[in-house]
Amino acid sequence: MLVIAVNLSTYIPVGLLVVMALIFAGANLLMTHVLGPRRKGPAKDIPYESGMNPIGTARKRFNVRFYILAMTFLVFDVEIIFLYPWAVTFAKLQPASPEAALFLGRVMFFLATSVVAYIYAWRKGVFRWD
Amino acid sequence: MPGWMPAFVTPQLVTSLVVILIVLHVIAVGAMYLVLLERRIAAWIQDRCGPNRVGPKGLFQPIADSIKLLVKEDYTPKHADRFLFVLAPALTVIPALIGFVIIPWAGVLTIGGEEVIIAGADINIGVIYLVAVTSLGVYGVALGGWASNNKYSFFGSLRATAQMVSYEIPLGLALLAVILTAGTLRPSELIQQQLDGQWFLVHQPVAAVLFFTCLLAEANRLPFDLAEAESELVGGWHTEYSSMKWVLFFLGEYGHLVVGSGFFTVLFLGGWSINPFAGGGSADLPMAGGLGMILLQCVIVFGKVFCLICLTMALRWTLPRFRYDQLMRLAWEGLIPTALLVLLVTSMFVFLGWAQDWMWAGSLGIVLVIWLLQPLLARRVSSNHRVPLAGSRFSPLSEEE
Repeated sequence: MLVIAVNLSTYIPVGLLVVMALIFAGANLLMTHVLGPRRKGPAKDIPYESGMNPIGTARKRFNVRFYILAMTFLVFDVEIIFLYPWAVTFAKLQPASPEAALFLGRVMFFLATSVVAYIYAWRKGVFRWD
Repeated sequence: MPGWMPAFVTPQLVTSLVVILIVLHVIAVGAMYLVLLERRIAAWIQDRCGPNRVGPKGLFQPIADSIKLLVKEDYTPKHADRFLFVLAPALTVIPALIGFVIIPWAGVLTIGGEEVIIAGADINIGVIYLVAVTSLGVYGVALGGWASNNKYSFFGSLRATAQMVSYEIPLGLALLAVILTAGTLRPSELIQQQLDGQWFLVHQPVAAVLFFTCLLAEANRLPFDLAEAESELVGGWHTEYSSMKWVLFFLGEYGHLVVGSGFFTVLFLGGWSINPFAGGGSADLPMAGGLGMILLQCVIVFGKVFCLICLTMALRWTLPRFRYDQLMRLAWEGLIPTALLVLLVTSMFVFLGWAQDWMWAGSLGIVLVIWLLQPLLARRVSSNHRVPLAGSRFSPLSEEE
């Protein structure tokens, strides 16, 4: 089996790829900026909203449901991130041992706290968009 | 390696660089040809010809398209936030291009006495890295729509952001169920386990369906492409974009598609495994091998990825688009409870030590439970009535006229 020592040298390709992707994106943006023509006109600076003259600005208040959804998402996302290390360790424990029972019980309690929040949000209508 | 090289240049690093360069080009060029493939599939499904003028069978169409888009005017509207407007396409394409680095495209090869794996980087937190990187794509969408200062773009990006974050939760939970059965986050070990045993698709069919659905939603593919929704929002968050900036958004979408399909292949389809139900010894391909075996493994992995991409394209032209409230209800009141149930059942099975042999039965049990509970859970939605066509305002009855 392949054994790779945990050291940072495995991350060198990741870093190089990030640099390559940055160069790729930057080069494309620069190239099209240099190659393309430039024409100006008064109608060109109007936001395209189906050919209508725009009424008001786009920088205005929007529905509060998006904020509530984002907060609910944060709760779950953070919770899932906490569960990944648990999942890796839990799978390696002796099945049905007291230690595994402790691991399972703690995480089930942790999940139950967020499920309570989830049911509360559901009953409050956070997920109703109609 | 030769003596004059610095110590950190190992055969693995050189292999990684070669793999990265090849796959980067495959994705960048492949995305152009995926557009052509998609248009041809669309034409085939809708009984049209599709693009067939430029070159034989339209094969040079992507080249003509890219040259055209490259020399288009790179226009930044006056009303836009200039910095964020330029930043957004880059922020979309970069996560889509750096995610694939952890996916093993073939097994272990021995070069100069050292074992190297044909992957960009076989890191021990590979799965978390890929999930983290692909979810960064949401920044490009959110910023692109906001910076455009256009109401359609803004609504499109709001919708897309809410959709992408919503479908990230069932994605993470379905992934967690697989990690629970596998007990590792390293992609090569995931494949090793599936070579030795069953595919995780056999263990976790429910999680696989959840994962694939969420992949479509994350990549903004139909039936989840409400962010674009050209019938309501012109072009969604990229209404104001043109030339190469617009291309980068599309490259991001297709890059997500390729990387997502590769991820699905590693997680559920066993990489280059050819036997879903059993493995080990002669029943499946080995982990390590000579050059011929490596090439065969590469072909199998790319073949699986290609089949998944074709499936998403066929889905695109088969299913109608969701309405927004249906989309959010599917995520929050359908997929997330299901994913939580899958997680609960999987952790119980792992605790009892049944995960290796009986997980498929547990998954069938989950399907049964959902099927039985579904009439109790389904909420009557006032906006979801089926209206008979005859007698409606679209088709009035003759006495009403």
